[in-house]
Amino acid sequence: MGERLQTLRTLSRVLFAIVVLCLVSSPLTSSSQSFATDLEGKPADPFRAAQGKVVVLIFVRTDCPVSNRYAPTIQQLSAHNTDKAAFFLVYPSKKETSETIRKHDRDFGYALAALHDPQHILVKQSHAQITPEAAVFDANRRLVYHGRIDNLYEDFGHARKTATTHELADAIRAAIAGRTINGNATPAVGCYISDLE
Amino acid sequence: MTVVPQKFLRSVLPLVCIAILGIALGGRTPAQHKTPAQSAARQSQVTFNRDIAPILYRACAQCHRPGEAGPFSLLTYADAKSHARQIAAVAKSRFMPPWLPEEGALKFAGELRLSEDEITRIQAWVEQGTVEGNPADLPPKANFVEGWQLGKPDVIVKATKPYALPADGSDNYWNFVFRAPVDRTRWLQAMEIRPGDKRLVHHANVLVDRQQNGRRLEAEPGAGFAGMELTIESEVFDPDSHFLFWKPGSIPYVEPDGMALRLDQDTDLILNTHLQPSGKPETIQPTLGLYFTDKPATKYPILLQLENDRLLDIPAGEKHFVVTDEFTLPVGVDLLAIYPHAHYLGKDLQAIAKFPDGRSETLIQIPDWNLNWQAVYRYAQPVKLPKSTTISMKFVYDNSDDNVRNPNDPPQRVVAGNRAVDEMAHLWLQVLPEDSAQAKRDPRAEILEAMAVHNLQKNSEDFEAHFNLAALLMGRGEVAEAITHFAEANRIRPNEPTVNNAFGAALLAAGRTEESVPYLTAALNARPDYFDARYNLGNALASLGDFRGALAQFQTAVRINPHDANAEANLGSAFAEIGDIKQARLHYQRALQLNPNHELAKENLQQLGREPSPR
Repeated sequence: MGERLQTLRTLSRVLFAIVVLCLVSSPLTSSSQSFATDLEGKPADPFRAAQGKVVVLIFVRTDCPVSNRYAPTIQQLSAHNTDKAAFFLVYPSKKETSETIRKHDRDFGYALAALHDPQHILVKQSHAQITPEAAVFDANRRLVYHGRIDNLYEDFGHARKTATTHELADAIRAAIAGRTINGNATPAVGCYISDLE
Repeated sequence: MTVVPQKFLRSVLPLVCIAILGIALGGRTPAQHKTPAQSAARQSQVTFNRDIAPILYRACAQCHRPGEAGPFSLLTYADAKSHARQIAAVAKSRFMPPWLPEEGALKFAGELRLSEDEITRIQAWVEQGTVEGNPADLPPKANFVEGWQLGKPDVIVKATKPYALPADGSDNYWNFVFRAPVDRTRWLQAMEIRPGDKRLVHHANVLVDRQQNGRRLEAEPGAGFAGMELTIESEVFDPDSHFLFWKPGSIPYVEPDGMALRLDQDTDLILNTHLQPSGKPETIQPTLGLYFTDKPATKYPILLQLENDRLLDIPAGEKHFVVTDEFTLPVGVDLLAIYPHAHYLGKDLQAIAKFPDGRSETLIQIPDWNLNWQAVYRYAQPVKLPKSTTISMKFVYDNSDDNVRNPNDPPQRVVAGNRAVDEMAHLWLQVLPEDSAQAKRDPRAEILEAMAVHNLQKNSEDFEAHFNLAALLMGRGEVAEAITHFAEANRIRPNEPTVNNAFGAALLAAGRTEESVPYLTAALNARPDYFDARYNLGNALASLGDFRGALAQFQTAVRINPHDANAEANLGSAFAEIGDIKQARLHYQRALQLNPNHELAKENLQQLGREPSPR
């Protein structure tokens, strides 16, 4: 019985939180809590910043070995597409701070914009579940791809020597060319974003 | 450009709220519509403090704590919660904790396997919403030793130069050469291998290199060298005896009394590391901590290798390629540890013992081989393998696309070799031969001779087997037969300085002095600083009456190794033969300084004393 009561309490708390969130998020009282932020803590809108380019969001964690191993690949993809696609690293963990994110970017040689998304606004927009996972939005801000970067990992402990399919690179090319992407993306392997809630 | 921010906010925010609401309600649905099964699960609610923490403390935290190999810590509720689904997934697939052998009748020390019940408990914990539970239920924190696991080592050595591991790319293999930090023969009881950043090193292996093979592969002293597999030569009977292996979570193994490993002044220790790029550039500079004992070795284990690399010729696309080997023990042994080894195509690795009474026992079975988690497995109790037990290995390889670890895309024909893209079929066993008072010879030699004969039956062109058999035959005085096998080894690899020297030495021992000279000379042409070959050639030339030639060889020999009493004594003799008694005396005296009991130097010096001084 006691446990059941506790469940109800939690439920009501969640509902209450949602109400508050909706209130706070009303356009009239703009608050950073419902936005991803840049590393200055200011609300950040990758779509505005992209100025009509294809937007690529890459979800990462500082403590996820799989997304860390992808750093050179992510950096290369971003450098290759710099004219036509705007890349953003998105850190969905509440525990991260601008400091830890900056240090991580420095350590791993990232030269792309980093966003902090503790409220999972971008996570939800992108249907992201895993780090590392990518979301590609076309120039009309339509989500055209979300899923793994490539097939380097088939499962935990089942890694290829090098990837043999490159889903993200293909999706970016298609989005730049205005082509639609067929087929369902294979889920990424890595750390679960839902563990961060 | 035309988009007004406010418009964007209005259109997106309500959607966000709905999404959150949907998830929140979705997550709580079971509480509202409970099925009987869910009610049962609810009654046995799984909490972190009571049910999960004990599992993490026992099976995960040894590596998942700060400074250790695990990429994140698993010490607290917050740690576990922020990786909960990941933990559930890797526990279920048995990727974690990494333990490859299937549970069998024979137990290994430190088995790190979750029970079915533990795996179910973790799944339930995540499904029920990762409840923390009552703080009073939390078990005491596991007590990990910080720093050196066995206390401060007697000697610590650090790699001379760090290795720069690139940010990108696939697995990387690097070897560090350490000069053994001993000024006399000492007995090593334990070694802690500190590979550097433990997140980068998948495993590491120390090879005892008594003949400085590794140094010759370094571009400059201390630089280290690349390579996945090494062959270490040894000319004296000093077979490999110990596994010196590190993997994440390893606690250094303390050898029982009497099983210490001998380290001599000129021994090198080669640390062979398997590294994995992390995504950022890293430097690795490993350290070894050595623990000595005053108790010298009284028991002599050896490492036996079953293999069948010659049969490794795996067609592209082949899903089930089988390689077998079997070896019958000529003496009884205690099996102490086992180390199966294949590369990326290995799938199912198995070893079985068939006893003389017809029974058989699985020694190890690894159904999903993963090179990244290879390990030495020590038996909880030594396994008695009586004389005439047959040990057999059966390794299955998958060279198809189905094997994601396949290093070739598309798959290609793969044969045996030392590179990561090649394959191997090796089963190493550490065995301690039974003590037998009746035994006329060292049981290790008997085993290794049987092994060499077995290997030649598999492959009459096996260079190593010819060489080893020849060396063992020399050891028991079968010089003529030894010469046959040295000749075969020399035919297969005519330019190998080690073989040329040993072959020359065997001919010298057989009295075929003139024939020995070209082989010894060839060894020295290939390797001018080859002390043993210099010494042997000096002896050969002296036997042929060419004392000036011999003198030159011994002079070079003592320059290469100033600590060898025999070379000094022979140099003395060569001087005596050409009439330089003063120099002869000097070198006999040096020989006696190095070894006060050197009989030849003593006798000759006395004899010189009796002779009238020439000048």
